[in-house]
Amino acid sequence: MAAQFEPPAPTRLDRIQPATSGRLLVVPALVGCLVSLTLGIYGRLHSPTGVAVDIVGFSSPATVKTWLATGAVLFAVVQVGSALVMYGKVPRVTSPSWIGTLHQWSGRIAFILTVPVVVHCLYALGFQTFNARVLVHSVCGCLFFGVFTVKMLALTRRGIPGWALPLLGGLAFALLVVIWFTSAFWFFTNFGVSR
Amino acid sequence: MKISTPIITLLVGVVLAASLLISSMSAVSAKKAALAAASASASAQATAAGTVSAAAPSQSASSAASPSASTSPGFVIPPHANYDGKVQGNAGSVAIVVHDTFAIAYYCNGSTQEAWLKGTPHNGQLSMTGKNNATLTANYALGHARGTVTVDGISHVFSIIAVHKPSGLFQSIAVVRGATVKAGWIVLADGTQVGSLEPDPNSATPSAATAPKLDLSTLTADDGGTTIVATPIDAETGSGF
Repeated sequence: MAAQFEPPAPTRLDRIQPATSGRLLVVPALVGCLVSLTLGIYGRLHSPTGVAVDIVGFSSPATVKTWLATGAVLFAVVQVGSALVMYGKVPRVTSPSWIGTLHQWSGRIAFILTVPVVVHCLYALGFQTFNARVLVHSVCGCLFFGVFTVKMLALTRRGIPGWALPLLGGLAFALLVVIWFTSAFWFFTNFGVSR
Repeated sequence: MKISTPIITLLVGVVLAASLLISSMSAVSAKKAALAAASASASAQATAAGTVSAAAPSQSASSAASPSASTSPGFVIPPHANYDGKVQGNAGSVAIVVHDTFAIAYYCNGSTQEAWLKGTPHNGQLSMTGKNNATLTANYALGHARGTVTVDGISHVFSIIAVHKPSGLFQSIAVVRGATVKAGWIVLADGTQVGSLEPDPNSATPSAATAPKLDLSTLTADDGGTTIVATPIDAETGSGF
């Protein structure tokens, strides 16, 4: 006869959380470091050419980059804003169903806009250290792509700690803004805003 | 198993970067090939003129009849180029403009130290001189130039990149309040500018001071109420040569 038993008295059920592990971030972090180092070392070893592919419609490669970079920052602001809504941090705004899609696409567009800029920057100008502004720009530029890689890889794993995505996203945004200030903003204040 | 979309995003970025890098490299090497043909004929003319370059370490290419591009290790010498940048240690900035058989250079620290130099480019090497024993020796190629400039007895090593509009070298020679004033500005690749002004370029004891800021949209500067007009010294348009 099957044993009959009473299930134990129900204990208070806490909200069930899957166990999270920071260890899942180690491999993405290592890949990110590799990306940052590769960009920095390439920028330093490669002899800057001063030229790269010209893009029609703009007065010079520098203006192309400043506008692409500014576009990337604007899409990144949408990223951060949509993330705040998704995490319920904006008072009186409930997250609409399309917010996740907005977040993903604004991020993808921001990232793709940065790619021609970083290729030109590394190929034509290289990793420069002759003053503080270019040093900060060069270092943050390399770090940004590493952090972005870590964030993308972290998104593929279930069970990462809750603080990981906001930290990585916030860090990526902060780095992008510093990159923009040490380049496009500087360019606009010296040369004016033009096409 | 569906590939996760963040991985797709990264892959799209990498593919885009790789294709831009490849097209940049082929654009640069197409430029090099075009310049190789041009400099082969230019160096044939230069050896006929017979100018000798000074102490700069000679490149592996012989300075005789062989075209410089095919024997030197991948560097191609452009006939027209603008370079500028800060010297090592940030003491000042230097600009070099090469246009066929003539080159102009300018060093300034934005205040009292400056010098204009001239010389004849030869096979990617420059040996230039200016007033008060100013000298400049450099090797230049597509995209960058490296060398040493000596002004007022102090030598500065530099490694600078090719620049394009709106960066570059600008000069103004004008009569201001009855005296001839010569000014030079170097606008660097990041947009910052340094400029010095000589109140009397013909004096035996030249003195220099900081030049007024050059407005890049109008190419003018205000020297104590008088507007001075600057001309670009630009290899691409031939302006200033």
